[in-house]
Amino acid sequence: MTLIIFLFQRLRKTLFSNLSNSIISLIFILIISLVCLNTFRWLIFKANWTVVTSNLPLYAFGSFPPNERWRPATWIIILFLLSIITLFGPGWKWLRKNLLISWVATIPLGLYLLYGGFGLSPIMSRHWGGLTLTILLTACSSLLSLPLGIILALFRQSSLPLIQKLSSFYIDVMRAIPLIAVLFFGQLLIPLFLPVGIEVDRVWRAIFAFTLFVSAYIAEDIRGGLQSIPRTQIEAANSLGLNQFQIIQLILIPQALRIALPALTNQSIGLFQNTSLMAILGLVELLGVGRSILANPEFIGQYIEVYVWLACVYWMVCTIMAVLARHLEQRMTINQANF
Amino acid sequence: MKINQKLFFQLGIVILFFGLIGILINNLTINLIRTGLGINFSWLFKPASFALAEHPLPYSSSDSYAWALFIGWLNSLQVIVSSLLLATFLGILVGFARTGKNSLLGIISAGYITIIRQTPLLLQLMFWYFVGFLGLKDNVLIHIKDIFIISNQGIELSGFKLSSEFSALLLGLSIFTSAYIAEVIRGGILSVPRGQWEAYRSLGLSERKGLISIIIPQALPAIIPGLTSQYLNLAKNSTLAIAVGYSDIYAINDTIINQTGRAIECFLILLTSFLLLNLLISNSMEIINRIIINSRKYN
Repeated sequence: MTLIIFLFQRLRKTLFSNLSNSIISLIFILIISLVCLNTFRWLIFKANWTVVTSNLPLYAFGSFPPNERWRPATWIIILFLLSIITLFGPGWKWLRKNLLISWVATIPLGLYLLYGGFGLSPIMSRHWGGLTLTILLTACSSLLSLPLGIILALFRQSSLPLIQKLSSFYIDVMRAIPLIAVLFFGQLLIPLFLPVGIEVDRVWRAIFAFTLFVSAYIAEDIRGGLQSIPRTQIEAANSLGLNQFQIIQLILIPQALRIALPALTNQSIGLFQNTSLMAILGLVELLGVGRSILANPEFIGQYIEVYVWLACVYWMVCTIMAVLARHLEQRMTINQANF
Repeated sequence: MKINQKLFFQLGIVILFFGLIGILINNLTINLIRTGLGINFSWLFKPASFALAEHPLPYSSSDSYAWALFIGWLNSLQVIVSSLLLATFLGILVGFARTGKNSLLGIISAGYITIIRQTPLLLQLMFWYFVGFLGLKDNVLIHIKDIFIISNQGIELSGFKLSSEFSALLLGLSIFTSAYIAEVIRGGILSVPRGQWEAYRSLGLSERKGLISIIIPQALPAIIPGLTSQYLNLAKNSTLAIAVGYSDIYAINDTIINQTGRAIECFLILLTSFLLLNLLISNSMEIINRIIINSRKYN
């Protein structure tokens, strides 16, 4: 009872503190209820969800051969279970230590499950698609761009002028051009820069282009982390007799990564959203599947249903990633406090 | 000893780097000879022979590629500047709603920000174009006596027409960027110490006066750098125009590559045009920043 009174008082205080505030609140309550009512009416009565329900496997796996769909499905289920264990699992030390390794291990596992070979029937990358491809692009590019970004950041901070200039030039140019240009020219130019006879498929060309692009942004985030480490730490390490590489490996990188962590997780969430650009460059990832379904005469004109559904899927995966990221940040600060 | 070591390390990496570049360029020349393309820019002055739906300056398909590229650059600039203004306006509204006292407004704007930020921009642009404009029922949404019309032909304001491609792009970019700008503004306002609020209230200033003359001037130095980077992002994101068929600089480069196959030259052109755009935006923001700092000094 007291709780209700408290809530009521709070509501009155924040919403109806004076006349103008009350008017604004009333208008917005009206608008919200109208919007909600209409949305619910549309969601339940007007919208025709067959365009979503009859194509669920397409959204998840693209044109992956139907009798092999268990492979990407297994991978996505493993990723999902791993997220749940990470978030809600017990805090046993051996489990927590192995979680990071298992997260990294999911990427080669995913590639194995998709490519096949070693007992599974091989499947060309042009059959990959849907959410599986979106997640694969994100995971591979994140994993590759992190070390590249660290190296670029260290080079940009180094006292060696030539290396510093080269790395600054690369980072600044990459950050000046739009992603879609990098991806498009990645598709066009990567084959031109390779020796005759060596070919890289579209998916890997996309991953390389994403890596080149994102690593420049990651480098700047890590540089921010590096700059916030006090110089006295380096002097202390020097006086302990550590050499240059030990200082970088033991003192600089762990601290810089911890400081840059929120920015880095934002980068990977941004990367996940940006994989949608491949839809206009010829890969059938999540948005690409939506486009190809809309091009099907059976579902023509059902733009709202498809777009609302895709937005929900993107929103959900982004939210899971953000929750995981916050969990990681919390664990990092706990670990730091234990030192 | 140590200086020698450093020199060798540097030399090693530079040799490695240029070695790699050399191999890549070698491959490139082999491939270019194989395909018979080579690199030259003389094609720039041949007639482009494609039509453009929108051109702020006179253009016909017999004009040169160079002129088409310039028109595309102007188109880009047009959409960037107009979405920049609209996004700033929306962002300020949402940002203040987010930090204000009214908790209902706070919740609404927080919801707006998460929904916009957690879905891809490309999806939003397609939504505005295919659903917002092309998908209008009876092709018209609002029709007020020929003064203000929103239809599948775009937006018309007493004779001043915006195409549906431009309008969708403008709307999508502005709404997307406004969510980020709102966060920048919120961060700036929160960076002003709480004591400043209490101070102007205890001095008897009204809320509006206190906000305008006490809080905002102190928040601006924290807001401007974030705003600049959001504007630069907006400029880069405007290349997604190709998804809705608006002929910006990237879309025209794409058409030219399809016609002529000159990928490397077009890449260099795109790079320079974006360096120009970035310089334009960051220099104007630098000037604004200086004006703000100066005005604070003399107050």
